[in-house]
Amino acid sequence: MILLPLNIITTTLIGASLAGIACSLIGVFVVRMKLSSLGFCMSHAAFAGAALGLALSFNPLLMAMIFSLTSALLLGPVAEKAKLHPDVILGVMFSLMLALGLIFLSLAPGTAMSSSAMGILWGSVLGIGKMELVQLGILTGITVGLIIIFSKEFQAIMFSRKLAEASGINTKPFFYIILFLTGITIALTLKLIGGLLIFALVVNPTSSVYQFFYDIKKIILISPLVGVAYCMLGILVSFLFDFPVGSSIAIVSSICFGISVVFSPRRKRG
Amino acid sequence: MNFSSTQLIKLEDVSTIYEGEKIPAIKDVNLTIHQGEMVAVIGPNGAGKTTLLETINGLLPHTAGKIEVLGKDIKKYGPYIRRKTGYVPQEITFVESTPFLAEDVILMGRFGKIGLFKSPTELDYEKVGEVIKLVGIRDLAKKPIGKLSGGQVQKVMIARALAKEPTLLLLDEPFSNLDLNALSDISRKISYLHTKFNLTTLMVMHNIASIPPSCNRVILINQGHIVEDKLSRKMLDFPHLKMLYKVNL
Repeated sequence: MILLPLNIITTTLIGASLAGIACSLIGVFVVRMKLSSLGFCMSHAAFAGAALGLALSFNPLLMAMIFSLTSALLLGPVAEKAKLHPDVILGVMFSLMLALGLIFLSLAPGTAMSSSAMGILWGSVLGIGKMELVQLGILTGITVGLIIIFSKEFQAIMFSRKLAEASGINTKPFFYIILFLTGITIALTLKLIGGLLIFALVVNPTSSVYQFFYDIKKIILISPLVGVAYCMLGILVSFLFDFPVGSSIAIVSSICFGISVVFSPRRKRG
Repeated sequence: MNFSSTQLIKLEDVSTIYEGEKIPAIKDVNLTIHQGEMVAVIGPNGAGKTTLLETINGLLPHTAGKIEVLGKDIKKYGPYIRRKTGYVPQEITFVESTPFLAEDVILMGRFGKIGLFKSPTELDYEKVGEVIKLVGIRDLAKKPIGKLSGGQVQKVMIARALAKEPTLLLLDEPFSNLDLNALSDISRKISYLHTKFNLTTLMVMHNIASIPPSCNRVILINQGHIVEDKLSRKMLDFPHLKMLYKVNL
């Protein structure tokens, strides 16, 4: 079992809670609108950006955001018009971004697999400081605020973008708000969960909640709570067994998702 | 039957070409529909019926010509026009896990009309309750949309289109995949609602037998062109059908 000072534990728990809320809220959109391929590419673009930041000794977080948002801007129109199958985007972009990320890490000063580099790959409890907490807090606040203010527009778009457009909603700005929030959320939570695993926290909590509810309003309300619970369980496992925090959260949330599929009322006939 | 002289839909030499295609899906279409008319557009699969409907409400941008709906240019006033137009898409299906209740789907029809930064009020919920009662789907309101049959979904979509209190109703294959009972029920309901709300209704379909009796005008479309207009339901005869469907009857 790992022993850490209390202030680090507190910071980690608060940071993980905020990451759980932000990621799972974004996950509601990503899962429902089938944007998983796009989000997966964005998370790996963020990883490549952060790695480039390390290689250039420049702010990795800023570089992660730039890469993640640029990939959203480039891939958004492709996903929007569905001219390319999502699997094609995923196949090309995932390997490209991972390859770039690993090359950038190998160019980073010091040992290639220094603690900062490993943190970006797999996540670290030491990755979150006070500044990151403030940033995550602001992001979570903005995400919750936007979802409340534009609740009906987001609901309509999640139901059917075409029908939302037919009812007189201009869906394009809202689609890009979703992509933008996804990019920023992934970049800000990168240091805690890690570039290779962050998408588990976006997809797993929401996918678990989807197994139990047919009402999108309930899914939006409950997903953040489940996201926080998965993060807490993951951190507990990480502390107990001295595993990387990102891996622990990914494993715990995947197991919980599997359990939710088994016990989902949707599997019961009649 | 007399109709208002107000032109609700006016298309002048309208063509629509899909992105990446060379041949227009509809070509040089001229069409005027007056307030209060119930019009059926008939044609075989791939004739351009859905393209025509989606071009009229601006979901598909037209590539040539001019379209005025409710007296306004669709290119400039698309969202405004769509807020006043009820639209029922072609054969929409949902997977069983779709996380939306039927009554929420109907309420969403009013979201464009409610506008940005505003939440649905008591009035909005009242209107939803009214259309649910009118369309006769009170027993379906609390059910997940993915658990409904094709005919039930069709009714929910019609209720959704009516919930916004539209001036114009556009229906894309409203009777496709319905059994005879559901077809007759929905056909009667559309005719009733058309009259009750003084709507202008434009529906596209491929099955001549399902044209509602109250439909006052039939248009034939083939290969993107309007080939006959201002027919009545009774005037449709074998030569028309032979020309349209290229079959010997």
